[in-house]
Amino acid sequence: MSETIIDIQNISKVYEMGSQKVHAIRDISLNINKNEYVALMGPSGSGKSTLMNILGCLDTPTTGIYNFTGTNVRSLNDNQLAEIRNREIGFVFQTFNLLPRATALKNIELPLVYSGIRKAERTERAENALKSVGLDDRMGHKPNELSGGQRQRVAIARALVTSPSIILADEPTGNLDTKTGNDIMKLFENLWKNGNTIIIVTHEEEIALHAKRIIRLRDGVVESDEINENQVKLS
Amino acid sequence: MLYELKESIKLSMEALNSNKLRAFLASLGVVIGISIVIMMGWLLGGLDKAMQDTFSIIGTDMLFVDKWDWTGNSNWRDTRNRKDITLNQAELLKDLHGTAEYVIPSINQWGTTIKYDGETYQGMTTVGTTAENAMTPVGNLLMGRYFNEFEEKYGSNVIVLGHMVYSTVFRGENPIGETVKLNGRPFRVIGVVKKRGTMFFDFIDRQMFIPLKKYAAIWSVNKRSMSIGIKAGLDNDLDEVRTETIGLMRIIRNLGPNEPNDFSINETKAFEKSIESIRLTVYTVGIVMTSLSFIVGIIGIMNIMFVTVTERTKEIGIRKSLGAKKRSIWTQFLVESAFLCLIGAVFSLIICSGIAYLAATYLPEYFPELSFLLPTLPTELFVIAAIVSIVVGLLAGIIPAIRASNLDPVEALRYD
Repeated sequence: MSETIIDIQNISKVYEMGSQKVHAIRDISLNINKNEYVALMGPSGSGKSTLMNILGCLDTPTTGIYNFTGTNVRSLNDNQLAEIRNREIGFVFQTFNLLPRATALKNIELPLVYSGIRKAERTERAENALKSVGLDDRMGHKPNELSGGQRQRVAIARALVTSPSIILADEPTGNLDTKTGNDIMKLFENLWKNGNTIIIVTHEEEIALHAKRIIRLRDGVVESDEINENQVKLS
Repeated sequence: MLYELKESIKLSMEALNSNKLRAFLASLGVVIGISIVIMMGWLLGGLDKAMQDTFSIIGTDMLFVDKWDWTGNSNWRDTRNRKDITLNQAELLKDLHGTAEYVIPSINQWGTTIKYDGETYQGMTTVGTTAENAMTPVGNLLMGRYFNEFEEKYGSNVIVLGHMVYSTVFRGENPIGETVKLNGRPFRVIGVVKKRGTMFFDFIDRQMFIPLKKYAAIWSVNKRSMSIGIKAGLDNDLDEVRTETIGLMRIIRNLGPNEPNDFSINETKAFEKSIESIRLTVYTVGIVMTSLSFIVGIIGIMNIMFVTVTERTKEIGIRKSLGAKKRSIWTQFLVESAFLCLIGAVFSLIICSGIAYLAATYLPEYFPELSFLLPTLPTELFVIAAIVSIVVGLLAGIIPAIRASNLDPVEALRYD
């Protein structure tokens, strides 16, 4: 049996809007194992963003248990959560979220800065990460000198550089044209084949079909959670 | 940690560089505050130096028995009603004094006119004194010699000029052997005193010294009070000399046991007091102005840091998602705030150095009393300005930095 990375049991998230309580997600339980390729689907308002924030340790559930590689996340303070994000989770965002004033290489080095890794090692690892996404000729470029697809590759390299337990991608192709989007999905597929665990959050059926397992959310609960028999493979 | 600091400084430089005008306006209050601190230190530095100079021209081992009090602390009416100190009393003191090295009576005639080469000069002071006056700091001559006991005894027509008299009347020409006229009487110039004047004692260079006996023949010594200079000598205890002087003067002046002294003992210590009051004024004005401008400055910097935090909300979110801890975030903003103020301090130092140099170079020409100004800033002011600016920056940055570090990563990432 493969190693469990994410184990959530009966988690709910309640937001208080004035006097009203809004249940963004309720009573969700699921497991994600090492080297899974999961798509988290649902229309807007389904709670998929909330679930992603909780899975990514950016937010904590109101009730329920979240064990991340054996650690109970709910009992952690802000700094401990930051440490988990730093070491165990690689984020890829729809809007890339690169620092505009920093070069590609510096952007990729940033997570390593926060883990306190020395300059020489940082640069070496960042260069390797850039190579692995095929952008080693763009090291000194700033985000505004790169195309959308290139920016997303830099973001993926940044997510990879700490060798995290999971890569969490939120609508990674949402701001890209179809062809570039396909290139990015190909990259995720390769990462998965190389043993990475990937969770992609999307509302697009086409994108979700690249995953091996699709979890559908609706109105804050899991509607379905099944193996994707028609997985689209690009390579 | 060290790396983070370095990175934060680099980051702040980029951030400030991208918005120069805003950074300038924000730090204006701090620039003004630090400038006031620097100018205050510069003025006090000049005052201290002037005080030291004054001490050395008066002589730290000198006491002066006078009718008037230098400090002006005693009641002016009482002082005015004191009896004059007469030549007889001065000579008695000289005969009786056991501990002093020299007792030197002198008397001043203010507003003497001096004539030379057909021109008349006013506003000088003639001092009638003894040859022993050469043993006091007045004896430091630029050229020539002082009059001797022989010339004093016979009341010779010889004169030693103060530096300003020399430079005004002779304008750099050699005065030795020339004849000048005081109140129509000819005097042969035999010496010139070195320049000694400072802001507290600028009249001192307008003095001209002639033998006491000669003075008595022209103006009489009974019309005004004598001043008795007492040189303790470096080997003697000044306190002992002062005690004996007071005791003798009380006897000479026939004072009863319960009567207060009807004379003043003046010494350089008196200047420490008057300097102290100037210093206190400068401090008070300076501190009030500094506090005000620092309050304005801190508000300015705090405001700009709040704006910066808001502008960089997204960036903070990104950094947090990548694992930045609270400490990293607030370090970054505190460093930026401190750095902004430090840049302000550098500006202040440059501006104030310029002002100090120009003021000390050109102002004394028009306002001689400002000659105490130093042309360069005292070194310790650079350290003080740096420390003060960093402290102000840290103070102003604390609240914005804490706000930044407490931002919710989810909210921050959503910010556009």
